[in-house]
Amino acid sequence: MGLLSPQDETVLKEHLSAITKPVSLLLFTQAFGGSESGTIAKTILDEIAALNDQITVVEKSFVLDTEDKAKYGVDKTPAIVILSDGDDTRMRMYGAPVGYEFVGLVEAIVVAGTGKIDLDPQTMAWIQAVDEPMHIQVFSTPT
Amino acid sequence: MAAANPKITADAIEATEFMDLSRKYRVTGVPKTIVNETIEILGGLPEQDFVRAALGMPDEDQPKVQL
Repeated sequence: MGLLSPQDETVLKEHLSAITKPVSLLLFTQAFGGSESGTIAKTILDEIAALNDQITVVEKSFVLDTEDKAKYGVDKTPAIVILSDGDDTRMRMYGAPVGYEFVGLVEAIVVAGTGKIDLDPQTMAWIQAVDEPMHIQVFSTPT
Repeated sequence: MAAANPKITADAIEATEFMDLSRKYRVTGVPKTIVNETIEILGGLPEQDFVRAALGMPDEDQPKVQL
């Protein structure tokens, strides 16, 4: 049995139907010394990908795929890197995407797959004026 | 924000899974946001307030960007 209920799947499928571009979800895990959350993350990503043909899950090894690890700046696992039509969106998720994190993941996938960012024009102007590297880390818990 | 500007990287971190980081940034409540290791934002804020805080814009500051 999957983690998503049939009702969840119906709602999610409708939400993901807005996607027009391929979205790749790179999942970095480690077989040894990795946590159970890597397995949970894999299950959740697969269930999301099954709902929309544009979404694919690509498994990466934190130990072996050192080039990709460096390219995307992944320093812990499980990590999910979201690509929009092959381009890095610079949106990352660390840990199992459950609870509030799941909602954030779905929204990030929709942004990556539609190219539409739902922010008001003033906020968008402030963000686009940023000209120095900025690293934002948001900590949350599943409940 | 990351999707809107290539200079920005945004990480969503499950706090209970990465206790070392949570301790480093003294995460005692969530959501807690850390920007460039220097700015801390506690709790959820309305969109404009959050972005102003993340960009280090003072509360009384007028918008610096003209639309």
